[in-house]
Amino acid sequence: MKLQKRRKIKSFLALSLSTAAALFGLFWLIFILYDVITHGIGALNLSLFLNDPAPPGVEGGGLRNAFVGQLLITFFATLIGVPVGVLGGTFLAEYARGTKIARLISILSDIMVSVPSIVIGTFIYAILVKPTGQFSGWAGAVALAVIIIPVVLRTTENMLSLVPWTLREAAFALGAPYYKVIMQVVYRGAATGIFTGILLSMARVAGETAPLLFTSFNNAFFSTNMNQPVASLTVTIFQYAMGPYEVWHQQAWAASFVIMLFILVITITGRLIIKWRYKK
Amino acid sequence: MTEQMELEVRNLHFYYSGTTQALKNINLPIHKNNVTALIGPSGCGKTTLLRCFNRMHDLYPGNRYEGEILHEGSNILSDDIDLISLRSKIGMVFQKPTPFPMTIFENIAYGLKLKGIKKRAELAERVENALKHAALWNEAKDKLHASAYDLSGGQQQRLVIARALAVEPDVLLFDEPTSALDPISTGKIEELIMHLKNDVTIIIVTHNMQQAARISDKTGFMMLGELVEFDVTNRMFTAPSEKLTEDYITGRFG
Repeated sequence: MKLQKRRKIKSFLALSLSTAAALFGLFWLIFILYDVITHGIGALNLSLFLNDPAPPGVEGGGLRNAFVGQLLITFFATLIGVPVGVLGGTFLAEYARGTKIARLISILSDIMVSVPSIVIGTFIYAILVKPTGQFSGWAGAVALAVIIIPVVLRTTENMLSLVPWTLREAAFALGAPYYKVIMQVVYRGAATGIFTGILLSMARVAGETAPLLFTSFNNAFFSTNMNQPVASLTVTIFQYAMGPYEVWHQQAWAASFVIMLFILVITITGRLIIKWRYKK
Repeated sequence: MTEQMELEVRNLHFYYSGTTQALKNINLPIHKNNVTALIGPSGCGKTTLLRCFNRMHDLYPGNRYEGEILHEGSNILSDDIDLISLRSKIGMVFQKPTPFPMTIFENIAYGLKLKGIKKRAELAERVENALKHAALWNEAKDKLHASAYDLSGGQQQRLVIARALAVEPDVLLFDEPTSALDPISTGKIEELIMHLKNDVTIIIVTHNMQQAARISDKTGFMMLGELVEFDVTNRMFTAPSEKLTEDYITGRFG
């Protein structure tokens, strides 16, 4: 009797503590979301998307430059990072499977995933910005690509390893060369997993600020020239939120809301694909 | 009557990388349009032997063959054999059904495309023939463009057989093709195999002695990497010449 009672108390305590911890985490999350949504929606207007920034202190103006710049940088980062990541993951899971070099690259990628993004920013600054003497959209895209590569590489490797070996053997047994086995059978089996990984890595870099600070920097004017500094939402938010003008604060809220929505949509799409896949 | 030889195994030894010898001095004739069954207790090397015929062992580094397997006058174990063309002549069906993650039609078209057949009309015709050949046409004709995973296990196995047949191989290797299936599906596959031997030579590894007795013309009994006895199936199951074979067949071990 006594023993049971003690167990019940322990169980109750453990349950209460874990619930409290979960609620604590959830509280801040909802707080942030609520804040961004209420402030952001209030500051949203069409001119935000259609106009470029007005001179400091002047009413009106928008962030068209930053929206377009953000899309440009993210697009090129994906274009550079995804092929390298997918091919690298393919090398690890297929051609170098079980070798020491594959293990080493896997471990290094895991470390790369957790390197603070500002370190990647300074690294790209040193190799791309300093030598050219110029902040540029390319440098920003490369910095984000460097963040994408290890994520996509590891996801690809894992997803390919999940494809059963018998499937590859069956394709070989029909007389298929290895590259066709990979391209036509293995990739198809792992496609949704890899695609989800790509989406989630895009969502991750879309919210990065630190790697862009030293690379694409910022641009108060509309520019699609990737050889020049290019505006991005995240850096603009950083700058505007620190700035002295109320208009800037409002626009920073609106930009935060939009980028949060963007990332939310990508993430949810990724999750939905996983769910849809498992249903099948 | 004299039977034509499809494959001839001569003094075959096989070593898995890093471990001991898995096959010891195998000598075995495989006759054309026969079903040859390989039986024996687990780990006796029957699957290892089967996977020598299409050089599946080459996928994993360090494996080593010694000896010869002759097919159409050449040794398929020699280094200068083109594995891609070898495997399109000697097909394989595995223990678990291995449909590719694509539609039923695409599964069968896959092997055909590998052979360079691209015309839609020809593809469609050969896919239909292969499905009919594997006795799956009636069940699959209305869902050719549905995922192959929508089929039942037994249907998937017949799909895989159809896929292997579509490339018109000389030999089909079956590695315990019914051990993952229910009795009714097993019956269908067995019927199919007996029917197929008119067109291809069949080698089947099986755990199930009754299955070997039912469907095969010749049987090889293996143990510990050696071929203990090889004979016409009827004789093997009624009057085996080796004591070891008799003990295994009567269920004294294994």
